[in-house]
Amino acid sequence: MNPAHLDYDVLADLAEGLLEDDEAASVSAHLDTCAECRDLSADLADVSRILAEAPVPSMPAELAERIDTAIAAESLNTATVVSMEQRRGRRHWRILSAAAAAVIVVGGGAAVGSIALDGADSEDGAAATPPQDSSASAEVGPKAAVPSPAPAFNVARSGTDYRAGELGSQVAELLDSRRQAAAADPAGPRLRGCVYAVTQGKAPDLVDEAAYEGKPAYVIAARGDESGKWNVWVVGPDCSAGDPGVLKTLKNT
Amino acid sequence: MTSVSMRRVDEVPDKELLARHAQGDPHAFAELVHRHRDRMWAVALRTIGDPEEAADALQDACLSAFRAAARFRGDAAVTTWLHRIVVNACLDRIRRKSVRPATPMGDDATFDAVAPKMPDPTDAHGVSLDVSTALQQLPYEQRAALVLVDMMGYSVDDAAQVMEVPPGTIKSRCARGRARLAPLLVHHRNRREHKNVGGVEGGGMPK
Repeated sequence: MNPAHLDYDVLADLAEGLLEDDEAASVSAHLDTCAECRDLSADLADVSRILAEAPVPSMPAELAERIDTAIAAESLNTATVVSMEQRRGRRHWRILSAAAAAVIVVGGGAAVGSIALDGADSEDGAAATPPQDSSASAEVGPKAAVPSPAPAFNVARSGTDYRAGELGSQVAELLDSRRQAAAADPAGPRLRGCVYAVTQGKAPDLVDEAAYEGKPAYVIAARGDESGKWNVWVVGPDCSAGDPGVLKTLKNT
Repeated sequence: MTSVSMRRVDEVPDKELLARHAQGDPHAFAELVHRHRDRMWAVALRTIGDPEEAADALQDACLSAFRAAARFRGDAAVTTWLHRIVVNACLDRIRRKSVRPATPMGDDATFDAVAPKMPDPTDAHGVSLDVSTALQQLPYEQRAALVLVDMMGYSVDDAAQVMEVPPGTIKSRCARGRARLAPLLVHHRNRREHKNVGGVEGGGMPK
């Protein structure tokens, strides 16, 4: 190395203002007279530019999915803890059916006849189905977490094993085929609280007890913002108004 | 994933999302991650180099952040806090996985064995691949500092917060890293076409 010339380290320190004053002065003086070292200095500036211009890679879809799933699972675990710590004194609804999972579809069009709505808000679905769960609203539960006018609805059991990648199409197929009508019971107060918490008050068009990725879970869906589109949620079997524990959300699918 | 945009939630500030998460809102944290995931991924991938390791580190980081959210005190930006967790998760991975002992800073030894088996499938441009390869020649601390400052555009002070070191340390790590990268990236400079363009072995560079 030619001692008369500067190296990258000194020049990089100079650029970051890390040199002592006297050294900085002598380095600058050298740069004024030496084109070769000015070239090196420009190299360093180029390093920053090249790094800045490197394209930002998008997160691969599989990884995004994987992380979503991990967060959802964590969500489910944490919900229990939070509920015990933060909601002491609030009455707990026990899990009525530990093995069951439910899919709940909210919104929906006139095609969905299997959901019993005893509320007054639905201009389409309600007429198709006679109210059959008016008694359920009497037991709406001890806490006001459930919107008071929330209509009751039925829970279907389609036996579907929902899969993350096919959730949208599986729900759509179910809505089309109306298979969920085969077995349906009125939703209990805990599940109703869960559903309305997740749908933010929208009445569900489908609630299906099922499995998600092989495990008991509730799947909830509502009519999306565009006609013919659905919002679908998957929640765990412990879902309640305070702790929906959403595992998966599909918007306007 | 185009269907994840949640209109109303979009305007909610990061801190509010984090607070909602701490209060038990099941959507808030996922939304926060969606919002920042590409940058978090970029930090993890560039800091670690290997896509699979980076993916594992990022998942670790997301879960750590999920659990630690209640302890977020709001004295830094949420993105700073998130990136700190990502950087720490990357460092954990590197430490756990590293075959060789941790590379001391300022060690001028070459790191041939570390040269990653890149090909990053997300990358179609040769440039980024070379940049990634070059970055892997740096000790972890220098690499992370350059990823934050030069690649992600963090200020020195913000990067110092992310890495929890004084700003002067960030400056020094950046300076060391740039000095080391300069000869490695020489072929990216069209400015130097009068010298050995495309010469893999950079014989023209003074050492």
